[in-house]
Amino acid sequence: MNTVIEPRDERSQPARIVAGYPQTPWRNPRQPLVKRQPTLSELSGPLEVAKRVKLLGGDIAGYGEHQAIGQLIHLRVRVLDEDGAPVGGAMVEMWQANSAGRYSHPNDDDHAPPDQNFHGAARLLTDQSGSFELRTVKPGAYPVPTKDGWWRPPHLHFSLFGKVWLSRLVTQMYFPGEPLNMQDRILNAVPDVAARESMIARYLPPAAEPYNALVFEHRIVLRGRAATPAQPP
Amino acid sequence: MIPTGEATLGPFFPPRYVDKGANDLTVFEGRQATGEAIEIHGRVIQDDGQVLENLIVEIWQPDAGGIFRHPADPRHAQADPNFLGWGRAATDAQGRYLFRTIQPGAPEGRAPHINVMLMFSGLMRILKTTLYFEVGAGNESDPVLSCVPSGRRGLLLAKKQGPNRYCFDIRLCGDGETPFFDD
Repeated sequence: MNTVIEPRDERSQPARIVAGYPQTPWRNPRQPLVKRQPTLSELSGPLEVAKRVKLLGGDIAGYGEHQAIGQLIHLRVRVLDEDGAPVGGAMVEMWQANSAGRYSHPNDDDHAPPDQNFHGAARLLTDQSGSFELRTVKPGAYPVPTKDGWWRPPHLHFSLFGKVWLSRLVTQMYFPGEPLNMQDRILNAVPDVAARESMIARYLPPAAEPYNALVFEHRIVLRGRAATPAQPP
Repeated sequence: MIPTGEATLGPFFPPRYVDKGANDLTVFEGRQATGEAIEIHGRVIQDDGQVLENLIVEIWQPDAGGIFRHPADPRHAQADPNFLGWGRAATDAQGRYLFRTIQPGAPEGRAPHINVMLMFSGLMRILKTTLYFEVGAGNESDPVLSCVPSGRRGLLLAKKQGPNRYCFDIRLCGDGETPFFDD
C-alpha cells in the first residue's frame, strides 16, 4: 500500500498568525518548520481509533419533548482523498454550539442560554463510500470575547482521522449565505477564495424527506491516498 | 482535489472526547501489550510561559518490535495484537500531559521514536513533532532527526527521569522552541 503525500498549496491553508486573533502570535512557531521526507512512520497511522474511544453516532438533535431548540438540519458529508477516492471507515468527531451560540463546555461563559437537550457532540465512522450524515440543529453565531473581538459565524468543528498520520485533519464548516462569513477572521485566514468556498456547505432544495429539516451537503478532502495494489482478475 | 483547509480546534473541544484511558497505550481492549511499559510526561508552554490547559496531544508509534499496526508496514502481520499505537491526552490545569505506553522498538532505518501532534485553540494548523529518547541507539543516523538543524536536535530528546519515566516538554514558540515539521 503506497500513500503519496503531496506538498500542499500554502494558499489553500490558513495563515498561522492571524491579525486580530490575539492568541496566535504566542502559540505558533517562529522558527522555520523543518522539512522532511516522510517515512513509514508518518505514512502509516491508527486505523482503529474507535476501539479506544467511544462512538456517539451522528443523530444529536433529540426527539419529542427532548428535541433541541433550533432549526433542524440534516448534513450529508463525503470524505474523499486528493484523488477523489472515498475514505471509508474514517473516524469523524464533530462539535458545535447550540442554536443560541452557546457550547456545552465549561470554558463557555453565560452570553447565551444552554439547552439541556443539546450537547453538540457527534462521533462516528464514515461508511465505505466515505459518507456520513448528521441530524442536528443549526448552530448560532457567537461573539469572540477578546478586545476588539468579532462574531464567529455559524459553524461546525470537525476532527478526522484518515488512513495515515499525515492525513489527520482539524477543520471547520460554514453555512452558505451567512453575512458573518465575510468578517470571520478564522475562515478568512485562508488566502485562496476557492479554498475558502470549499469550506462552505451547499444548501439542497427541499425534498419530500426529511420534510422538517434544512438539508446541506458538504465535502471534506483529506491528504494522501492508500492505493490498493492492482490484482489479477 | 485540493485538501480541505485546516482550522483551529477552538476553546470548546468536548472534554468527553478525551475518553478515560485514551492516554494508556499499554492496554488494548482489556489486554496487556507486550514490552516495557514507560511513562512519558511533560508540559506544553506558550511563548509568555503561560500554562495551557486542555491542549490535545496525540501520539502514534510502533510496537515493542518496531512494527506499525498498519498495512503499509510489510511486517504488520507480526504486529502485537494487543497494541494499537495511538493515544490521546489533554493537558491539565498545570499544563501537563501524561501517556503510559510501551517503549517503541526501532522501525527499519529509524531510531526508536514516537510521533506527536498538538491541537489547540489558536493553533491554526496541527503541529507535528517527533520524540526521541536521550539514550536511544541510532539517533545519529535517523533520517528525520538528521533533517533538524544540529543545534536544535537536543530539543527532541525525552529526558530519562527514572527506570521507566521520561520527560518531554514542548515549547510552542520563542526561546527553546520545539522543532516542528513542515508536512
